[in-house]
Amino acid sequence: MNQPFHKRKERLNLFQTLFGKKKNIKVTTSEMNIEMCPKCSTAIESQTLKQQNYVCLQCNHHFPMGAYDRIDAHFDADSFIEIYAKANSNHLNSFPDYLNKLTKYQKSSDLNEAVVVGTARVANQKVAVAIMDSRFMMGSMGQIVGEKITRIIELADRRKYPLIIFTASGGARMQEGIMSLVQMAKTSAALERFHQNNGLYISILTHPTTGGVSASFALLGDIIVAEPKALIGFAGRRVIEKTLQEQLPDDFQSAEFLKSKGFVDKIVNRNALRTFLIQVLKLHNLEVKL
Amino acid sequence: MIQKILIANRGEIAVRIIRACKDLGIQTVAIYSTADHSALHVQLADESVCVGEANSKDSYLNVNNIISAALLTQADAIHPGFGFLAENASFARLAHACGLIFIGPKPEIIDLMGNKINARIAMYEAGVPLIPGSFEAIASLEEGINTANEIGYPIILKAAAGGGGRGIRIIHDEAAFRQAYDVLKQEAKNYFNDDALYMEKLFTSAKHIEVQILGDQFGNMIHLYERDCSFQRRHQKMIEEAPCHLLNETQRKALCEDALKAAKAVGYDSVGTIEFLMDENFNYYFMEMNTRIQVEHPVTEMITGVDIVKEQIRSADKQKLSYQQSDIKILGHALECRIIAEDYRNDFKPSVGKISFYHAPGGKDIRVDSALYTNYELSPFYDSMMAKIISFGPSRLHAIKRMRSALEETIIEGVENNLEFCYFTLFNPQFVAGRYTTDFANAWIKELNERESTLS
Repeated sequence: MNQPFHKRKERLNLFQTLFGKKKNIKVTTSEMNIEMCPKCSTAIESQTLKQQNYVCLQCNHHFPMGAYDRIDAHFDADSFIEIYAKANSNHLNSFPDYLNKLTKYQKSSDLNEAVVVGTARVANQKVAVAIMDSRFMMGSMGQIVGEKITRIIELADRRKYPLIIFTASGGARMQEGIMSLVQMAKTSAALERFHQNNGLYISILTHPTTGGVSASFALLGDIIVAEPKALIGFAGRRVIEKTLQEQLPDDFQSAEFLKSKGFVDKIVNRNALRTFLIQVLKLHNLEVKL
Repeated sequence: MIQKILIANRGEIAVRIIRACKDLGIQTVAIYSTADHSALHVQLADESVCVGEANSKDSYLNVNNIISAALLTQADAIHPGFGFLAENASFARLAHACGLIFIGPKPEIIDLMGNKINARIAMYEAGVPLIPGSFEAIASLEEGINTANEIGYPIILKAAAGGGGRGIRIIHDEAAFRQAYDVLKQEAKNYFNDDALYMEKLFTSAKHIEVQILGDQFGNMIHLYERDCSFQRRHQKMIEEAPCHLLNETQRKALCEDALKAAKAVGYDSVGTIEFLMDENFNYYFMEMNTRIQVEHPVTEMITGVDIVKEQIRSADKQKLSYQQSDIKILGHALECRIIAEDYRNDFKPSVGKISFYHAPGGKDIRVDSALYTNYELSPFYDSMMAKIISFGPSRLHAIKRMRSALEETIIEGVENNLEFCYFTLFNPQFVAGRYTTDFANAWIKELNERESTLS
């Protein structure tokens, strides 16, 4: 019925491209940064995106989020106290160009390593937190990351704090070789001790959680939560396909797929995560005061 | 008092007249040919009478049948619209003889203005500037050549009784004149039964300006300012506008006064138009007078707010004009596009067929005069003009912009039409600047055809 109108519109569009004035793209001088949602192409002002905790309200796409932004989003205001902020090592392997690369990442971000650890409060309940940041060498786990995580686990154990870890990692840091793989065992052992002492560990898997991190502390949580559509797995999809010579399902290694297989307890939207944490803490007879 | 009018026409003008009649509380009778029984004017009129076969010679030009239809339906008056019998003095006389009012000027005036030589003489006597040319009919070949040399080539040689594009030759030199003279004389004799010829200087690039005149039978006469109809192809107007925005107040006043002078000189008593040619120095010359309502009358109605057809009926009904000259103001600018069923890509070949989909534009200051409706069968027997779209705006540019969006909205499916052609024209810089003359359309069509390859 409305076919003629469509035809007309197409025709007009054609004229526009052929005869229409070339539009000058306006360069705005104002400080307005626009981000484009990669999934639904909605344009969102950076400021607004931050207020929305880096979630597109149109399609619920979860943008990658920096460690400090997560702290602001999920914990009580000004309650975070960072520790081991300047952790360093003299024994980093001299893999070609590795140290330069590290310095470059440190300069370009507000991070000293791929994880930020410290204590914070959730509804006035003290918690120990570790937040990985995928912006720093894809959140890979080297000696410093492993050490910081181990130490925060031990701190939680000593002070009887619940432990919350946000994971985001491409896996073990290849540049540090075998020493990075050792971190898997080290963090797992620390967690086992924490577990023996009846500590509560909530693991929050964000996009992406893969490799050595997923094979160690990420999936050892008492409660394992994932952000929607997060990639969670060990080896990459193509590696597995080549090895098994098999076609994998489309949603393979997605948070939803893992939940259906029982690896993840719950998928929680980023904006609902704080409420979820409060509920969990309350369930474990911890003092929460809103 | 006129109580019932027979409309001796078809298409959008018949619909236009029916609307004016409804406004005046007058009954309407439509006439139609066998090909037109589903036409819109037949559906809208109070009564309708079939007057003959599809060929217009047998129906819309069939004087006897039309007069009989008027008498049979007890109509008081006949409105001839334009074309067909609108400028046929003997039809007007016959109507009068049968006790019917012919809505138009007195037959003598139609006769006078129909003969171009007599019209030129009358205008000369009234003191209206004439196009340089022969004053009386050319007596002989030698005399014609002398006059032509005097005014300078190119000239246009015309049959005095001619019209409708027939009996006209454009001549560029003496040799061509010798060749054309006898042929045209014979042609004039054959077609119009009058072999009188005259010549005028040919203006290849001029503005076609016409002034709308309103008169009544009490000697009152006003003008409704001018229209610019310079956008024409083969003397067929395609886009008209009012007023001519190149004129300043003094020039406009002089032009309109001269038009009034011309109309008063012949004792004009109805709706008419005085056509002028205007050269680049704003010198204007009387061309001819149209003793009827014109296709492009809505642009004048838009800028003045006067219903010209209503005034025409009133004056035929021996009523005084409802306006005085001081009431008439130019309120803005108006544009009219004639939407014609012809393929502009294919040398404007007429197209016929069923209108499978029709959507008219609308909105403030947009007027559509059309006889179209969805599933209407466009007949090959008659003029291919389907609709007129008129836009109005406080300024010329506003009117152009409104017209563009109106054309974007308009959809006519089923027949080829010139909507896109009009649309493109409204973006032509020369058109937008308003500095186009009568030769502009041809050049523009050529340019469009060259660009056409990029469009399909």
